[in-house]
Amino acid sequence: MTTAELVRALRHDFGAAIQSVEEPVSDKVRVAVTPESVVAVAKSLYRDYGARFLITAGIDSRKDRDGFDVDHIFSLDKEQIFFIVRTTVPSDGPHVAAITPEVPAAAWAERELQDLLGVKADGLLDGRRLILPDDWPEGVHPLRKDIKYGDWPPLGDGTGEATYPWKPAPEGTSTVVVGPFFPVLEEPTQLRLYVDGERVIDCDYRGFYNHRAIEKMGDSELTYNEIPFVAERICGICGFIHSSCYCEAAEEALGITAPRRARYIRSLMLELERIHSHMLWTGIAGHILGFDTVLMQTWRMREPLMWLCEKISGNRKTYGMNIIGGVRRDISRDLYPEILSVVEKIEQEWAQLYDAVQGDTILKARLVGVGMLPEETAKALAAVGPTGRGSNQAIDARADHPYAAYDEVPAKVITHPDCDNWARVVVRLEETLESVRWIREGLKEMPDGPVMATDIAETVPAGHWGVCTVEAPRGEAIHYLVTGGDNRPDRWRVRAPTYANLQALPSMIKDETIADVPITLGSMDPCFSCTERVEVVNMRSGEAETLTHQELLTRSRAATERLRGR
Amino acid sequence: MIISKLKEALICFKAGRVTLPYPFAPHDPEDGFHGRVVVDAEKCVGCGGCAEVCPPRCIEVSDPDPDRRVLDFLLERCTYCARCAEVCPEEAVTVTKEYETATNDLNDMHMHIEVFMSTCRRCGRCYEPPTPLDRLMVTGFRPPTGKSEEA
Repeated sequence: MTTAELVRALRHDFGAAIQSVEEPVSDKVRVAVTPESVVAVAKSLYRDYGARFLITAGIDSRKDRDGFDVDHIFSLDKEQIFFIVRTTVPSDGPHVAAITPEVPAAAWAERELQDLLGVKADGLLDGRRLILPDDWPEGVHPLRKDIKYGDWPPLGDGTGEATYPWKPAPEGTSTVVVGPFFPVLEEPTQLRLYVDGERVIDCDYRGFYNHRAIEKMGDSELTYNEIPFVAERICGICGFIHSSCYCEAAEEALGITAPRRARYIRSLMLELERIHSHMLWTGIAGHILGFDTVLMQTWRMREPLMWLCEKISGNRKTYGMNIIGGVRRDISRDLYPEILSVVEKIEQEWAQLYDAVQGDTILKARLVGVGMLPEETAKALAAVGPTGRGSNQAIDARADHPYAAYDEVPAKVITHPDCDNWARVVVRLEETLESVRWIREGLKEMPDGPVMATDIAETVPAGHWGVCTVEAPRGEAIHYLVTGGDNRPDRWRVRAPTYANLQALPSMIKDETIADVPITLGSMDPCFSCTERVEVVNMRSGEAETLTHQELLTRSRAATERLRGR
Repeated sequence: MIISKLKEALICFKAGRVTLPYPFAPHDPEDGFHGRVVVDAEKCVGCGGCAEVCPPRCIEVSDPDPDRRVLDFLLERCTYCARCAEVCPEEAVTVTKEYETATNDLNDMHMHIEVFMSTCRRCGRCYEPPTPLDRLMVTGFRPPTGKSEEA
């Protein structure tokens, strides 16, 4: 189905509710609809046309048309179409009908819309705060344009007046408070597990303690070419995907074409990043399970790759290579043999490791059948990356919306039907080998030529937009950019992959034991951390005990030891 | 099970010892490494291009009086992206391979450069005089050796 057919079908179904259609770049459509029909259109896209919900971006457009724009971004993966449903709500007491009851994956996005822009989503089952702190005053919404970057409203005095409305614990369960500094996630995050004995019955999540206001900085402080460097710092392990995604979206919005060679270099760096991220993850997963040989060996294999990246970009990590219009450094042809020899050594060692891990019955006993994420749940919650692909969802931005050089050298999408932690391990192990294959092909096809576009216009028009997805090692990242007048975006929306995957966590850890929680969370590959503590409050006895990071790790590892029969 | 453990053991044996004796033996980075930046005050014309592009904004430019432009490099905030070196028209900013920058004294990470400049009669802003001969006419001009001080 083409965009024209899709728009015609929607016009047929909804008539005058479809107000306008923009398609500045082929297969990227933005349709303005009336606020009354937004739920019906979203439902129709999701149910009838198989569109996958990506993210919602709210834009404060009060200076232009006295309203707030709410853009729901959908993807039609098979047809390689981005479909944005825009509705504009009046600025006086803004509210919009929530699409979450029909499109479950939108839950966090709409809670975020309420928090940051103050556009109330009517009909949310769970309308609690997602991002704003507990003691943040009502009616102050940081992403509105009248709030300056760095403004800080008067907060409570910290005497404990403000509390978060946690879900009540189900009858007969104890509450295990994990966080607010989570032992396995890098970010400060709080998870409340409602457990009966060792078994997790339910859980509740509170995060965003470390919200850095990067989007706000992007539309009020930084300039177009400074953002790639800040975007790269959104993630410490897969930063290059964010700068690539931003640059591709910005190039589309500004009408700049990056030279072919620059796009090959981007793809090459992205694949190198995927390899070292998956190797790092495999090591950490082994560490959580008390299997430190894997940790030591994968990180040893990874090190030559880090040195290679340092040689290519000048930095071991956070390369700073991307800029709007291309890349800042060319790769000399003399370096090709070295790149090949490094990744082929990894390929050879990785195959041995894969072989060894596959035969390890104890390791498999901890992973097979644990942390189940059924296919339907993965689809409904729009899980992405290896978390989604481990549940047989063939979602991979490299195939769905080819960017950089993946239109010329495609990457194979690897899925696994088992839906458990082992499936996610296998997907990552195989993707590492697939990335090596891509690098071999990509280097062969890489054209010569300039790495930086030269036809960049002096002035940048306002109101243009671009959207891009990039497949990070953890899943699909989305950047949506609307250009502004003063050499910076009017709105820059970022969705990192863990945002989508974390919403699937409650169903993954349901009915698991506490010892399986770290590896199940870990199987999603959020960022990892150490030196944090966990507190266990026994609601029945009222006793509180405190688990350190070490003790939680010990629990996880003891489960492996029991299997080893020691 | 046993076979897989033997395979794992084999991977470890094959690897041998891989750790380096750093810091007892130096570990020099490759060419093109982005280390600490240094600025050649002789070459700097005070255009402030580096400050314009610096993503972490660690270069501060000020004009304390009409003939003097001051550039302060606060390198503790540097992210080693080397954009300053890329845009410098005079190649005054260079990237070194120095990475052992840990220090107890923050001043070690600061560079203070004063460039003596002329003032445009029309707009009153500083500009670099075109030749050294013109520079001698700028009030407050000192001989090159004392021209800049690096704190």
